[in-house]
Amino acid sequence: MNNALKNALLNRLIGMADDELILSHRNAEWTGHAPLLEEDIALANLAQDELGHATVLLGLVEELNGKTPDQMAYFRDAAEFRNVQFLELPKGDWAFTMLRQYLFDAYETILYNRLLTSSYQPLADVVAKFRGEEIYHLRHSHMWVERLGLGTDESLGRLQAALDQMWPLTAQLFQVSEADNLLSEEGVFPLAADMADEWQEIVLPHLANCSLHVPTHATMLLAGRETHTHFLNDLLTDMQQVARWDPSAEW
Amino acid sequence: MARWEVFKKDNARKPYQAVGSVHAVDPEHALHNAKNVFVRRPAAVSLWVAPAAAIFSRSAEELENQPLDPTANGHEQRYLVFRKASNRRSMTFMDHIGETSAPNGESALAQAIDQFDDKPGLAWWVIPAEAITASEEDVAEAWFAPAATKTYKQQSQYGFVSKLREGRKGAVTSDE
Repeated sequence: MNNALKNALLNRLIGMADDELILSHRNAEWTGHAPLLEEDIALANLAQDELGHATVLLGLVEELNGKTPDQMAYFRDAAEFRNVQFLELPKGDWAFTMLRQYLFDAYETILYNRLLTSSYQPLADVVAKFRGEEIYHLRHSHMWVERLGLGTDESLGRLQAALDQMWPLTAQLFQVSEADNLLSEEGVFPLAADMADEWQEIVLPHLANCSLHVPTHATMLLAGRETHTHFLNDLLTDMQQVARWDPSAEW
Repeated sequence: MARWEVFKKDNARKPYQAVGSVHAVDPEHALHNAKNVFVRRPAAVSLWVAPAAAIFSRSAEELENQPLDPTANGHEQRYLVFRKASNRRSMTFMDHIGETSAPNGESALAQAIDQFDDKPGLAWWVIPAEAITASEEDVAEAWFAPAATKTYKQQSQYGFVSKLREGRKGAVTSDE
């Protein structure tokens, strides 16, 4: 693999791993605080799956750049993270958390389906393991969006507010760089922009069925994955502080 | 929020077994909660849920103190029969053993006790078949795929657990 291709792949792998890691951290913040004991367990399971996926993906990163998963997770600063912004926002209320999960699960399901045939075999192999869990995650968040949307005026109001806030940020999932064309030509990684239509075909009908209105005049976020909100700093301060107290400690 | 009883089938040879209950607003929600609570590290091929309110339940003591009085009130329907036959401590406590047809729960149980007389029952449940919702077969792979190959789901994957054990062993040794 030449250097240009390797760097493009690294960038995408780090993006995938960071999406999972950051969302996992936000979901784990519900542990002990979810509205139902059963959902508390569900969110902890979800967070553990995502953390597991992040660890495995960071293992692929290590094969390419030599940095261990712990170095990547605990010793990078916010500017070096490549997750999309809507995943780093605070967990908000239950409606926000479930809608974010739904929008992201739909995206990941499409991404994983396409990566099953990636010409980079290590990636195709790990995605085959993740896929079943992702189908389950999507069913869970799909179900919750429906129940909140068709629930009470309050649950619908909260869900709509979450959609208004998040919708413009979802455009970031489908941003592409020059290097991405290379990956796509080599069959390594699908072009994110090509997944946007399929994503909308999944989420738009469901959102409409759940009485939600997609903002029509919103300014979509077109910034790249290297830009972040201050919420990522706050999250990393929390997530990394123990590891940074004593970098030589054995876990 | 209603309570639902959860039944788990571990493999093709095992019966559906009651494993506990979850709270949920409807059958689909109940199945999700059941999956999350009772199939965390998967060992299952299918789940059933039934609203606790739909279950006609009697223990052996209750049957002794107050014999069943089956009547013909109600419409004839299928009932699934569950029996607890052992006091052995176990994760499960009620096995699905078969079905019967009756106009109401009390008659269904009276029939079931006659029909399934191979072992005495310590407790019995009969549930109208229509009150039971099963996990869908097409999602079984996604819901119940073995976790064995997914090392990140195993506790042992996380280094600090083994470090903790080493630490504890060290503590025991130094006490001696």
